[in-house]
Amino acid sequence: MSSLSASNLNSHNRGEVAVSIKDLNVVYKTTLEKRPTLKNRLLQFSSGKKQTRIVNAVQDFNLDISYGSVLGVVGANGAGKSTLMRSISGILPPTTGRIELYGSVSTLLALGVGFSQEMTGRDNVILGGLAAGLSRAEIDNKFDEIIDFAELREVIDAPMRTYSSGMYARLAFAVAVTVEPDILIIDEALSTGDAHFKMKSLNRVKDLRGHNRALILVSHALATIEEVCNEVIWLNKGKLIQKGDPVSVVAAYKKFLEVGSSPMIDEDV
Amino acid sequence: MSAIDVYEPFHRGLPPLKKYAKQLFGRRAFISEFAKSELRRQNFGSPLGQIWLVLNPLLLSAVYFLLIIIISGQTDSARYAHLTAGLFVFYLITNSITAGAKSITAGGRLILNSAFPRIMLPIAASVVALFKFIPTLIVLFAIHLILGLPITYALFWAIPLIFIFYMFSLACAILFSCINVYFRDTQNLLPYLTRTLLYLSPVLYESSALTEKLSILKTINPLYPMLDSWSRVMVKGELPFATDVFQSLIWTLALLAISSYLFLSREREFAVRI
Repeated sequence: MSSLSASNLNSHNRGEVAVSIKDLNVVYKTTLEKRPTLKNRLLQFSSGKKQTRIVNAVQDFNLDISYGSVLGVVGANGAGKSTLMRSISGILPPTTGRIELYGSVSTLLALGVGFSQEMTGRDNVILGGLAAGLSRAEIDNKFDEIIDFAELREVIDAPMRTYSSGMYARLAFAVAVTVEPDILIIDEALSTGDAHFKMKSLNRVKDLRGHNRALILVSHALATIEEVCNEVIWLNKGKLIQKGDPVSVVAAYKKFLEVGSSPMIDEDV
Repeated sequence: MSAIDVYEPFHRGLPPLKKYAKQLFGRRAFISEFAKSELRRQNFGSPLGQIWLVLNPLLLSAVYFLLIIIISGQTDSARYAHLTAGLFVFYLITNSITAGAKSITAGGRLILNSAFPRIMLPIAASVVALFKFIPTLIVLFAIHLILGLPITYALFWAIPLIFIFYMFSLACAILFSCINVYFRDTQNLLPYLTRTLLYLSPVLYESSALTEKLSILKTINPLYPMLDSWSRVMVKGELPFATDVFQSLIWTLALLAISSYLFLSREREFAVRI
């Protein structure tokens, strides 16, 4: 599990390895029901129905991510993008293989802020920060910057259940980028919020790119990927299909989306 | 350059325990902050909220006391003290179970977004239950004085007994938080479970009232030796039986070990089950 307070030195050289992934496989078991209950389990057990399934979410994955780079991750739904991001951030440890991190990580997955809907935005920011490994003093130092960036000063002491989805997104993004991580992972979060905030968050990502951080950006917005990233990987069914410059990988991925298959995917590797 | 963090497969389904314990200790501020925020959210930060914290179990004990008078037709002050002391500490356990059961499923966003020792969520829930219990000790002390119950050195035994009760309630919180991830209707069963546990424990009745036929409860109910010791100390001002304290400790340590193992061996899956 990463600790944000472990290093906020920000003194990495461009090209230095930030994340090293070797022979990664992530397998997990999940239920077929969205809300598993004892009652349903007993009913299904008596009928002999299958209740769980094994998901091979990431398979034989190898990758090095360097400081100073912005890695785009593209792939259809269920490709394993979110699982890969959760593995890199320590949320879902590998089944086999190894992930090495050479810096502090901040994640913006599933719009992470909003731990408790009933608690205020302020409490959620503090608790989220403490859970991620920041000290109370570090959170207090960054607090004003977070709420100013999120433009939520007036409602920060209101329960989060009163927030709109855009406000959620703004607060989550503000927390993730303001803690100044060495490695920042953003999973499909740049497309949230209104047009003004989208532009603001995109500019912040570009700004971070210039500070020799390592950024990983998962998005279905291919134009943004092409604009911001300097390297892109394409995942399909848990496998790395292609890695390279944004233009060529996005073009291959677009072609795949149009025709539904690709020689690279069909090939049994 | 050496890696700051390395993620490898869990050994026998368990996270690296030394690293886990270190990270848990490093995040102790979360636990106290969570407890404060949660008490604030439930309005227990205000004076009226704190009064309600004491008034609620007090009213409940009055209702049960009335019931006992109607059923048995007779009562005495020691019986009321026994009932109140038992109910207050029983509520520590049930509050911990109820809040603990929800702790992982309610922490969904945090679990999906951050890597941290998940066990700190049920720990935080049990700390909230402990914070709610502490004011009731003042009421117990007041009742003790008003009813003229004996004040002896044995009362100091309340401290280790509260510790045992807390550790037991923590073990329950950890266990039910894990079970609730797999069976979301566990929460619906809890009121029945805790009510049954109440009737099988020496709260509404004294241990001496138990018939020979039902004496098996003393062995199979982990709360029995704890509550009996608690009543001896808090009501009679007598020392608890060594066997009862020993039995309570064994139950608590065993449940803590089992629930922690179950939780740690399953927590990797929480992010994909929520």
